Amino acid sequence: MSDQKRKKKKYETSLLNNKPLGYMMLIPASLMILLISCYPLINGILLSFQNYNLLKPKKQGFAGLANYIKAFSDSEFWGVLGFTFFYTICVVVMAYIVGMVLAMLLNRDIKGRGLFRALALVPWIIPPAVAAVNWSWLFNDQVGLLNTLLKQLPWVNKSILFVAEPQMARFTVIWTSAWKSFPFMMITLLAGLQAIPGELYEAAEIDGASFVHRFRYITIPQLSSVSTVCTTLMFIWTFNNLENIYLLTRGGPNQSTFVLSILTYYTAFMRSDIGYASAISTILLVVLVIVMMFYVRVVDKQAQEV
Amino acid sequence: MSKATAYYEKKSKRERRANLATYIVLIFMVLIINIPFLQMIMTSFKTRAEAMSSTNFFPSRLSFENFEMVLMRTNFSTNIINSFIVSIVVTVACIMFSVMAGYAISRFKGRVFNAYTTFMLVLQLFPGVLMLIPLFVIMRNLNLIDKLPSVMLAYTATNLPFSIWLLKGFFNSIPFDIEQAGMIDGCSQFGTFWRLVLPISMPGVSTVAIFTFINAWCEFTVASILLRSDGVMTITVGLQKFVQQYTQDWPALMAASTLSSLPTLIFLMIAQKYLVQGMGAGSVKG
Repeated sequence: MSDQKRKKKKYETSLLNNKPLGYMMLIPASLMILLISCYPLINGILLSFQNYNLLKPKKQGFAGLANYIKAFSDSEFWGVLGFTFFYTICVVVMAYIVGMVLAMLLNRDIKGRGLFRALALVPWIIPPAVAAVNWSWLFNDQVGLLNTLLKQLPWVNKSILFVAEPQMARFTVIWTSAWKSFPFMMITLLAGLQAIPGELYEAAEIDGASFVHRFRYITIPQLSSVSTVCTTLMFIWTFNNLENIYLLTRGGPNQSTFVLSILTYYTAFMRSDIGYASAISTILLVVLVIVMMFYVRVVDKQAQEV
Repeated sequence: MSKATAYYEKKSKRERRANLATYIVLIFMVLIINIPFLQMIMTSFKTRAEAMSSTNFFPSRLSFENFEMVLMRTNFSTNIINSFIVSIVVTVACIMFSVMAGYAISRFKGRVFNAYTTFMLVLQLFPGVLMLIPLFVIMRNLNLIDKLPSVMLAYTATNLPFSIWLLKGFFNSIPFDIEQAGMIDGCSQFGTFWRLVLPISMPGVSTVAIFTFINAWCEFTVASILLRSDGVMTITVGLQKFVQQYTQDWPALMAASTLSSLPTLIFLMIAQKYLVQGMGAGSVKG
């Protein structure tokens, strides 16, 4: 073992000698990333300290913290921030539960597992624009399948306005986003489940542990690091995501389904207030950086364990 | 001995019953999950009149009038072609850049390479809306607004961090011995990478290709800002325009949606293994 390790080390040192080649191979990708990702990100942060409104060209210039003060003293901003958190947490929890149930079912040794797995991946794979169209057809108040079915029930006598009624629309976007997100949870949790040694379950079963006990004392602890990583990632993605809501409701009705990313998009491209929009998205960034620091720490810890 | 046999007999009986239950729950869940999608396909094959009046799930007979309408009488076919051009160019560009960078951070050790690895991880998580506004300004300065290269550049750059990260993990699993052997035989390191490592990395490259293609195919936000006229729209933006233009023509809209999801579905059918591998790569491997 130690001999092999020493050998490996020798190979590695021989490869170290050609560092310039390594730098050169990084150049093309770095140029793209610096120009098209990093520069806009930094520029976006800088714009948040500017007065920059396309409708008021004369008032351009340095604004200091004015945009941030405006955001923090705006009840619209706080309302949207609150809903963004509520929405994100609901989506992550729902996606995790559905993903976990499906992962446990698919972890059983049954025939046709691949087919079921493929069918469960459909929501994740289809374009968000298509998903939004699908849902609005299903939710249609005149001829939609869901309302037709619901009206068969004795106590439902008029169509439910899934996307036209503010409170209902909020639940609808949470539901449809969770639908789009659970396959990722399913796949990562399934990978996690498959890494748990089967002997653990066998031993527990012979000792007479019930399903609930096995789940509580084997599955949950064994999955803890995978769970942390996939819920954190999902939190970040959902918090950032604009398409899942925007394509279905455009943030409406009456801005009830606005999240921070939609507020940014709307402020920049409809109200043309670019400075203020940049401030909102910078606040979004700050929230995410806090979550990210947590994520990077978990991933680093995981990498060290391997 | 007999106690053990009894235990296993009891277990296999229970196992069979559990398997049956698994099937029932799985079929039920998969059906519920796919209802929006199945309904889209069913509606797209109904005649217009049937789709708007009958609430039957299945079409009474297969009709292709909606597909005909979408492909012949709207410019949705242009959108489909645009999406293909963009997705293919982005996929090729992304592979070229990411195999090199991924190989570099997998094989070379040093502070720069370590920092680069973490940077790739963090960059994947930044909010897209923050760069949307400056990106628009850059593209306007480059005179690329309303031209396909604008989204090609944007998609390549935004897909690179994930691709590099994924390929780095893949190259890590390839032993150094292969390059060592190649170098002993007189290959340069770039030569060993190109002729030995890359060919056996095809599964990793395929995963990146499929992911990049799907991401480029599905993207809406950036395209909605950079592509504004009919001739250059990709399918996602085109579909949104379709929604606004033909608000009441649901069957035609369903036909357009069905066409839009075809390429991704084909990937799901023929390359599920790579998709699953890629989905796991970002989170499980450190």
